[in-house]
Amino acid sequence: MNFLILYLLLLKAALSSFSGLAALPIVRDDFVVKRHLLTDRQLNTALVVGRSTPGPKGLYLVAVGYFAGGAPGAIAAWLAIVTPALLVIPLLVFAKKRIADPRVKRALRAVVIASAGVSLSATLPLSVDALRNVPLYGIAAISLVLLIFTTWDTLWVMLGAALASLGLARVFDHLS
Amino acid sequence: MTKPSLAELSGVFFRIGNFTFGGGAPTTAAFQRELVERRRWYDTLQFGLCYALARVTPGTNLFAFCTASGWLLRGWRGAIAALLVASIPCCALVCLVTAGFDSWPRNRFFQAAIDGALAASVGALLASFWLLVQPYLDRQHLVQTGAILLGSIALSFFAGWSPIVVLLLAGIAGFFWRE
Repeated sequence: MNFLILYLLLLKAALSSFSGLAALPIVRDDFVVKRHLLTDRQLNTALVVGRSTPGPKGLYLVAVGYFAGGAPGAIAAWLAIVTPALLVIPLLVFAKKRIADPRVKRALRAVVIASAGVSLSATLPLSVDALRNVPLYGIAAISLVLLIFTTWDTLWVMLGAALASLGLARVFDHLS
Repeated sequence: MTKPSLAELSGVFFRIGNFTFGGGAPTTAAFQRELVERRRWYDTLQFGLCYALARVTPGTNLFAFCTASGWLLRGWRGAIAALLVASIPCCALVCLVTAGFDSWPRNRFFQAAIDGALAASVGALLASFWLLVQPYLDRQHLVQTGAILLGSIALSFFAGWSPIVVLLLAGIAGFFWRE
């Protein structure tokens, strides 16, 4: 598969999405249905990899690129994912000139509050998926307390949570 | 507020961008805590600016957020550095996991560690919610904060509206609504 074509196909998918997996129908149509570069099973695998690794879920496109074109395909996917991010700079330049206006300040404050609401809405389905047993509820609660009431680095809290879960799995494994 | 050096900025974007599980929302929450609460590199308003503009930028919101934050803190060099250090290692990891997919996820202990990190990311999201809202819960802003918060939850969770539309409506409401 030609590197440039792969980049353009993945860029089209990246540009057509504003969050997470929104580009999935376009990716499936281009890579599975029209060009037969991927099977549905490989697309599913890409989604699972995107969910199982750190960072945004949209990174499943890197796995798609890898399946379609090996390591060069993954590089094309990375380029396709980062290219649209640069579009934020002209928007920022435009907005920064107007930030002193009290109405713009109020608008931004409202966006911050609404973003908290939107983020809380996203937390609920994520919680159903992530908190599948009592120990995981405990880990989430302890993480919440640590992140609000201490200045501990988020990375250490996440690593501690991973290690605690791993330790508990070993204990349960030993007991059973 | 102190502006970071390019090395400090790269270090933070590398750590948060590549070691936070659960997708873009928990990662942005971790950035909010790190950049606004812990290091005070910028304030909540500037975070709101980066967050809002990243949401309306097509593509992966998190990388647009990193680019915007980097640009705000260190100009072009900061934007490029933040984008590169937040994206390259996690993309490389995706490649590795894809290549070894048949063996990795079947390991029960590896999966248990991922489950723990995902549970912590739920905690990170809830902490971010509190840290974002708490400064606006004073008597002066209480009614507006409550209305915008409840409205945004109702529209995004119960009505299923797109986050972009919800944030746009909130921005319009804030623009015209004087306390």
